[in-house]
Amino acid sequence: MAKLMTLMVLPERCTGCRTCENVCSYYHEGSFNPARSRIQVVRDVIRGVNVPLVCQQCEDAPCVAACPTGALSRDAERGLVEIDYSRCIGCKTCVSVCPFGGMSTDPVTNRPIKCDFCGGDPQCVKHCVPGALLYVPVTAANVLQKRRVLERIPQFVEVALPKLPEVG
Amino acid sequence: MALGGYAGRYLEVDLTSGRWVVRELPGRWAVEYIGGTGFAARYLWDHVGPGVDPLSPENVLVVATGPATGSAAPMSGRFVIASKAPLTGIWGESHAGGHFGPALKFAGYDLVAVTGRSESPVYLWIDDDSVEIRDASDLWGKTTTETFSAIREELGDPEVQAAVIGPAGERLVRFANVMADTCDAAGRTGMGAVMGSKNLKAVAVRGSRGVEPASDEFYDVVNGLYEKATRGEWSRIADETIRGYGTPYLIDVMTQIGRLPTKNHYTGLFDRAEDINATALERYRISKKSCFNCFLQCKYVHYVPSGRYAGTLTCGPEYEALVALGSNVMVGNLEAILHYNRLCNDYGMDVITAGKIVSWLMEIYERGLVSEDDLGGIRPVWGDEEVVETLIHAMARREGIGDLLAEGGLRAAKKIGRGTERYLIHVKGLEASAQDGRSHKSIGLAHAVNVRGADHLRGLCTYDELPWAVKYAYERFGEEEARKMVVDDRLDPRGKGYLTWLTENFYSVVDSIITCKYGTMWPMIYYYDDFAPMLRTLTGLEELGDERRLRIAGERIYMLRRAFNAREGVGRSQDTLNPRFTEEPMPEGPGRGQVVELDVMLPEYYEYRGLDLETGWPKREKLIQLGLGDVAEELAGMGRLAE
Repeated sequence: MAKLMTLMVLPERCTGCRTCENVCSYYHEGSFNPARSRIQVVRDVIRGVNVPLVCQQCEDAPCVAACPTGALSRDAERGLVEIDYSRCIGCKTCVSVCPFGGMSTDPVTNRPIKCDFCGGDPQCVKHCVPGALLYVPVTAANVLQKRRVLERIPQFVEVALPKLPEVG
Repeated sequence: MALGGYAGRYLEVDLTSGRWVVRELPGRWAVEYIGGTGFAARYLWDHVGPGVDPLSPENVLVVATGPATGSAAPMSGRFVIASKAPLTGIWGESHAGGHFGPALKFAGYDLVAVTGRSESPVYLWIDDDSVEIRDASDLWGKTTTETFSAIREELGDPEVQAAVIGPAGERLVRFANVMADTCDAAGRTGMGAVMGSKNLKAVAVRGSRGVEPASDEFYDVVNGLYEKATRGEWSRIADETIRGYGTPYLIDVMTQIGRLPTKNHYTGLFDRAEDINATALERYRISKKSCFNCFLQCKYVHYVPSGRYAGTLTCGPEYEALVALGSNVMVGNLEAILHYNRLCNDYGMDVITAGKIVSWLMEIYERGLVSEDDLGGIRPVWGDEEVVETLIHAMARREGIGDLLAEGGLRAAKKIGRGTERYLIHVKGLEASAQDGRSHKSIGLAHAVNVRGADHLRGLCTYDELPWAVKYAYERFGEEEARKMVVDDRLDPRGKGYLTWLTENFYSVVDSIITCKYGTMWPMIYYYDDFAPMLRTLTGLEELGDERRLRIAGERIYMLRRAFNAREGVGRSQDTLNPRFTEEPMPEGPGRGQVVELDVMLPEYYEYRGLDLETGWPKREKLIQLGLGDVAEELAGMGRLAE
């Protein structure tokens, strides 16, 4: 069985260049067009806050549960939530129930679009200059997330450090 | 026209009649003028003649993108605003990054030309194919930051992009800028005043059309450039310098070569440089930002948490502001500079010209050429933080002496007289940016001949500037060429005419494609041999994929702007520098004892540029060679063509 992979977002590193949006739309639609990207960065330009929002490929996905036609399903082996466009009626319920804003409506086709890991080589991750997007095995994601938390709570590290005698 | 990269159409708006029309891009424009600056130059040559007052309804404001804008080409998230300049009366042009340019392209326009004058304040709302001239009465008087928020709120979309003016532009301050995405300034030559004169508060845009390359190979080319910018040697250099610290990093570099303008360009060293450099600035950093699709990412947001300037939140300052509002006015308090930067951005006013007018006042006051009484009680003493702030407010609001200063340094100096013009550091009416030709000869020449005045961004050469860059000149040009440019010695005037000509032509291409100039120097990922395959695969035009033809296009675009100025009567006599650079030796540092030998460099430059040494008018044969026969005819009719 292939390793379960996950797309990790580290908003504190994101600079809001939106290259991810551009390459995502090109990979999927053959057009550089952020309006059709599966990942989108929400920005506060005044304070410089940038948060990339993308499908989290939930285990118990609200979009799958809410879809009235069963067009959404989860592929457990690849850890991906997928759209079967032959069943999709374009009602956009999935877009409104997603708690992460990970589902969008394509302004050209008027159908929902979502991240599919680009077939295993996510273009957004590949082109993310500040390293705000990572595509890693779930096991590594766990470790990275814990280290990331430690960066924010240095006291945890300090408490754990052995008390060395002062150098005289 | 089904070209890759381009939108293939442009928008003309007449604010007097309230009518607008979308036109197809003229067939040969892409091949001959590439886009961006090139398109703007052609459009303005055709539409804005010598009789037109820059602040009259007849002047045209051009906003343009290039073929790369909106694509994944590295560092291509830019746009240009061009017009006849209110500050100088000649060619005016200013570029900015951010996210506005790509949005305009995504809406489907290579260029927007605005003429006329609305009776009341309006803003232009471009939403893909829909164009609307909307009432801006409620926006009038708002700062640039407030305007962004208000427009986004009114249109109900927080990602609408806009290029806006602030109170300075509304009041026709001749060096008012245009701000995009809150902190990206099209700063120079007074493009904001052109908008103000048209009662145009903003251009707001949203697009969903996308940019499609002619060939899928374009993506491979982009990935190659991406590798160059983010892996290996260039990435390391970028991380340690501009990517890691932004342009404030230059404070240290310029100190190293003795080229940090200080005390109204009197010297090239500032004794408090360490108080205003990137390291000092890092203490106030709260976040990092990037222009659209940039692989360098050099923008930082700063916040002052306490003290007199507590609460100041500003993106930047860039290097130029740190000099213009710091070393050059002898202010070494970084918190004050952060505050000035925010004020100028909010007013929508060029930090460079604003600062340079203040330093000029400080010098003429020190020399006793003006008194406190002349200045409405203001005593501009070197380094006085309060005076700088007072003058910024006065200029932006046109209050007291600020009303005269808002006309720009040269008009103010002419009005005051008493020999004060001698101390205004400008060329063609544009106050000098933060370089000094005495410590770096080629930039002296570049300031003197620049089509928009004393500024670095049309011809600054970095090979001979940065101590580490010389070896790249040898790699790129080969030994013979590098020696011809005397690229090893920044103090040697020989070969610098050739070097500046070469750089200007290249930057004309860069400004037309459009990419950020940092992509050509720091990291050096772009040159003609990178642009050619990128443009061929992006546009599908073989002509743009041909390096030789690209070089000629660059020369054509530069020459057309030179011709624009010739048509305005600006020639040889204005390709000059303040005596500060040509007669007063640099007092200290690595450039100590040096002056700018303009008389050595200018003839060499004129020879390459195809200009008459006596008059500065373009030569007929050069214009013909560049395919500008119609331009030659028009200049000949005015007696401004060299036969």
